[in-house]
Amino acid sequence: MVRFPTGGRIRQQRRKIRLTQAELADAVGISTSYLNLIENEKRPIGGALLNRIASALDVVPAHLSGNENLRLTQELLELIRTYPDTQMDEGQALQLIAASSDWARAFLQLHRRYREASETAMALSDRLSQDSALIELTHAVLMRSTAVRSFAEIVEQHPDLEADRRRRYAGIVAAEAERLGSSVRAMMDLLGAGPASTALSSPSDEVDDFINYHRSHFPQLEEAADALRRDFGDGDIGSHALTERLESRHGVELRTVLRMDETRPEASRRFLLARHLVELEFGDLLENLAVDRRFITSDAARALCRRAITGYAASALLFPYGRFLEAAEARRYDIEYLAQHFGGSFEQIAHRLVTLRRPGAEGIPFAFLRSDPAGNLSKRFSTLGLHMPRFGGACPLWPLYGAFRMPGSVMTQLAVMPEGERYLLIARCVSKRLVGYGQPETLFSIMIGCDASYSSRIIYGDRYATGSDAGGTPVGSGCRSCSRADCAQRAHASVVATDAPAQDARVTSMTMQ
Amino acid sequence: MLRRILIAEDEPYIVESLTFLLSREGHEVSAIGDGAAVLPAIARLKPDLLILDIMLPTSNGFEILSSIRRTEDLKTLPVLALSAKGQEADRKRMSDLGVDDYITKPFSNHDLVSRVTRLLTAPPGQP
Repeated sequence: MVRFPTGGRIRQQRRKIRLTQAELADAVGISTSYLNLIENEKRPIGGALLNRIASALDVVPAHLSGNENLRLTQELLELIRTYPDTQMDEGQALQLIAASSDWARAFLQLHRRYREASETAMALSDRLSQDSALIELTHAVLMRSTAVRSFAEIVEQHPDLEADRRRRYAGIVAAEAERLGSSVRAMMDLLGAGPASTALSSPSDEVDDFINYHRSHFPQLEEAADALRRDFGDGDIGSHALTERLESRHGVELRTVLRMDETRPEASRRFLLARHLVELEFGDLLENLAVDRRFITSDAARALCRRAITGYAASALLFPYGRFLEAAEARRYDIEYLAQHFGGSFEQIAHRLVTLRRPGAEGIPFAFLRSDPAGNLSKRFSTLGLHMPRFGGACPLWPLYGAFRMPGSVMTQLAVMPEGERYLLIARCVSKRLVGYGQPETLFSIMIGCDASYSSRIIYGDRYATGSDAGGTPVGSGCRSCSRADCAQRAHASVVATDAPAQDARVTSMTMQ
Repeated sequence: MLRRILIAEDEPYIVESLTFLLSREGHEVSAIGDGAAVLPAIARLKPDLLILDIMLPTSNGFEILSSIRRTEDLKTLPVLALSAKGQEADRKRMSDLGVDDYITKPFSNHDLVSRVTRLLTAPPGQP
């Protein structure tokens, strides 16, 4: 586990608000010498004392414990592991973050863009070599430019050319030059039409960073949703009430919202109506949140960010924080029960569980990850211990992937990481739309996970309490950062020390402590 | 000195410009646009030099060159390949198959004529 210089942060914050060691020690009820040991990292600190010190220093405990930088550290470590030849080690990564988390964040963003640019270049190269239309156009451009050049040179370099011949060659030059222009324009259209030519940044990564920074919780949106819900009275807000409000307050008709699509399941319909309503009611608030330039750097990312927080606000409206948390605790985080009780989909409910991070009324901290059948990951929301990989895919043994084998069924796993940490993982494959015969189904696998120490509060953890399942399944967090040497599912060589190094693995001595 | 040159190229305008340029140099120029017809044309016309486009229909330049070098009488026939610019892998493949020289499209007329002249005046097998 990565350790942060908590003592140093306490001292830094204490000096910032001009408190002496004696004053702070007195305020939290410990001796000055004990505080001195803590500040010099000679005594561990956590729990109630950390909370008292944080309160006395007027910051949240996470600010002192460094947990807010944990995700940053994990990503930086993951990144430097992909470059085993570099001399940078874990200690230097931590120093960089301690010195300036903004620089570390910028460094990660730079690398991400480099990676995306490389992928774009490879995709373009692949496209150039495989795309028959492009090959044909390239051939046409070469042929026409060859003819234009050759005849132009003949006309220029042979002044004795017969008049008829000169006229013919000049005509060929003009005609071929025009065709050349058409071919080039067609080529540009073709290149410009595909995803490979899009911007180098990845809007979804930027939005994930933004949401992770806020720990998947937005108090402003919760408050706005609470206020709006009061207009609807007590109880659940149904599609009918949402439709009425949209029509009476905003003049929006139901068919406009649903875009004539009557095939949506009720949960999806209601969520769509709620999205539309909060978009109209919270417009300025959503826009202000989505223009956070620390994370959101492009128009595409801003639009995606706004879409994500609009979804958050809709979720906060339909699944009210207090009642939802209470029901979740009472029903031991039974996602299927909560989905029925609150009229939500599996993904909506799982996502709402991740957002239960209100200080003082927190639910179980869940990480979240979504995959499509090709393994493309999205909605990566990490927790303190469970890091959702950004580079190189997740562990193929996670139920995230296994869930595709049994659509509609919840799959669980007591995941045991190489270093011994244990996590409870819960996944289910869902279909995003109802479709007609012959139309492709849109499938995603949704997974949430938490530290196994919460298992007794979760219905899905019961089977791991005793018996043959209690031992758990040996997995990792992704091949590159996994030290298991005996994994039959390994897709990439590990870059950390393995138990018995594979022949093609590039091994360094760096492991996550 | 009048020499016979066979152009294997399917683009009529390129054939027309090459024919003009090489005829002006005093050579007898013939052209064929289909890959499969190149070897029969060589047997019939017995050229002193073949200008061979790599991207020919029916049978491409690599296959034709490979067949030429496997034919005893044609092992030393000078071959100038026309290739697309930047396709290094194609050039290497042509070299491995025994091409004497290659020129990339779009080429300058002067460069092309110089290479043709050099190949026609070099001793057999030593371009």
